[in-house]
Amino acid sequence: MHRRDPRAKIAALMVFLVVLATAHRALPVLGLALVLLLSAALIWARLPLFSALARAAIVLPFSLIFAAVCWLSGDPARGFSLLLKSYLSALAVLLVVSTTPFPALLRGLETIGAPRFLLMVVQFLYRYLFVISEEAQHMTIAAASRGATVRGVMAGARFRAAAGALAVLFARSYGRAEDIHRSMLARGFQGRFQPAAALRFRATDAVFMLFASLAPVLLRATVERAL
Amino acid sequence: MLPWKAIVHIPDGFLSTPVWATMDVAAAPAVAYIVRRAQRGFDDARVPLLGVMGAFVFAAQMINFPVGIGTTSHLVGGALLAYTLGPAAASVVMSAIIAIQALVFQDGGILAMGANLINMALVGVLAGYLPFYLWGGGRWHKWAIFAGGALSLMVSAVLALAELLISGVPMPASVLGVSLALFVVSALLEGAITLAVIQALETIQPGFVRKPETGRSFALGAIGLAAVLLAAVGVLVASTAPDGIEKLGLQVGIASHVRSLVTTPLTGYQAAFFQTGWLRKASGGLAGLALIYGACLLIGRAVARKRSA
Repeated sequence: MHRRDPRAKIAALMVFLVVLATAHRALPVLGLALVLLLSAALIWARLPLFSALARAAIVLPFSLIFAAVCWLSGDPARGFSLLLKSYLSALAVLLVVSTTPFPALLRGLETIGAPRFLLMVVQFLYRYLFVISEEAQHMTIAAASRGATVRGVMAGARFRAAAGALAVLFARSYGRAEDIHRSMLARGFQGRFQPAAALRFRATDAVFMLFASLAPVLLRATVERAL
Repeated sequence: MLPWKAIVHIPDGFLSTPVWATMDVAAAPAVAYIVRRAQRGFDDARVPLLGVMGAFVFAAQMINFPVGIGTTSHLVGGALLAYTLGPAAASVVMSAIIAIQALVFQDGGILAMGANLINMALVGVLAGYLPFYLWGGGRWHKWAIFAGGALSLMVSAVLALAELLISGVPMPASVLGVSLALFVVSALLEGAITLAVIQALETIQPGFVRKPETGRSFALGAIGLAAVLLAAVGVLVASTAPDGIEKLGLQVGIASHVRSLVTTPLTGYQAAFFQTGWLRKASGGLAGLALIYGACLLIGRAVARKRSA
């Protein structure tokens, strides 16, 4: 599954999400069926099943609050629907993103019409996300060692200190971006990014897309007809 | 991270089909437009800057600001980006952030991404930039920045809430009240943090923060802002009490006009389609949204006319 064309996976994902979003009947059974479908796909893709299932549960705390409100307002079915749909959506996205290298995913999005400029920004963001986050972490540790989290210090001073830390992080990030730009120019950047290696949609991708898209549709049709 | 800050990223499964579909359809050309605007005059060399600034916002959300007994808050960043990179580039960066949050962290849905983009990357950034654009040049510089930070968060949150309500997510008055109160507090904190960071930036390197033009009419700006706020409140009220608004509309005779406007071109179709609840609810909310866009357009035209006068 890792080697399938990203566009096939994106298309299958969209079909899955729309089938899920528009489903209103027999949700428990359909939900179970779709979880099994995604689990099968995860196993086929040789991804660790339980950590994927757990990772998708990241949406649950937020959904649980709303589900609780629904339940207390007398609409438990809706609450269950919120939980189920948000969880399944997260699991499906996790599946696609874990089986597709990030640049290939963005290239797939580009071929279906997403603006290239935006996708390039996304790519650079992703690339520097961990670098800058680490820098921010170092700064917070350094600040903590200088007593920034000590309760005794006035909140106003700590507030300003945090603002100062952010400003320094901003300046460093900005400077880093300028360094990147300069090294790009030094390596002969002409002014426009060229599209990356072309994606090739093969017969196996078409077959995959067909089956992967049909699966949730058929599951839903079967469940709704049977119940 | 405070729980209510998460409320602005709507996951899949919360919005009803007409709402998420409409938002996706509306967001696509809007994002394409703002990307083209951000690219204007610059080659792709801008990309690393925007990417790195997006990474900065992510990382910045890890830095905690003490705001009371044992609680901390963090920056969301739309207004800060607008004041340093300009509103179009800020929208692009926020869009990239929303995309990464949905894809990599499963924070925010895929079908719901149109709504999230409109709330945070488009209208949120615009609302944050508006006070700065109007008053950032004069004596009210600091208040403009504070107001912008607060407004960007408030408008994003209110829009998200309205979309949830129109979709039929139950929200009893008490929950609604608590949510709104939390939004107000978060908005004020965002304003304070944005201002503090901008002030620190101006100390490090004044060139980072943009210089808006001076001499804008305070009154015009205030009226414009009031219009936007009224429209936003209007959307919220319309979505909480669609039947009330409908009754009012019937009394005033507007609703029948709107409905005939909508249904006449489609009278050949099944009448059942239009009797479903969502159209009644949606017309209230969408009318409110149209009010906001109209107000923004009018403000923009009026300010532009005043500038050239």
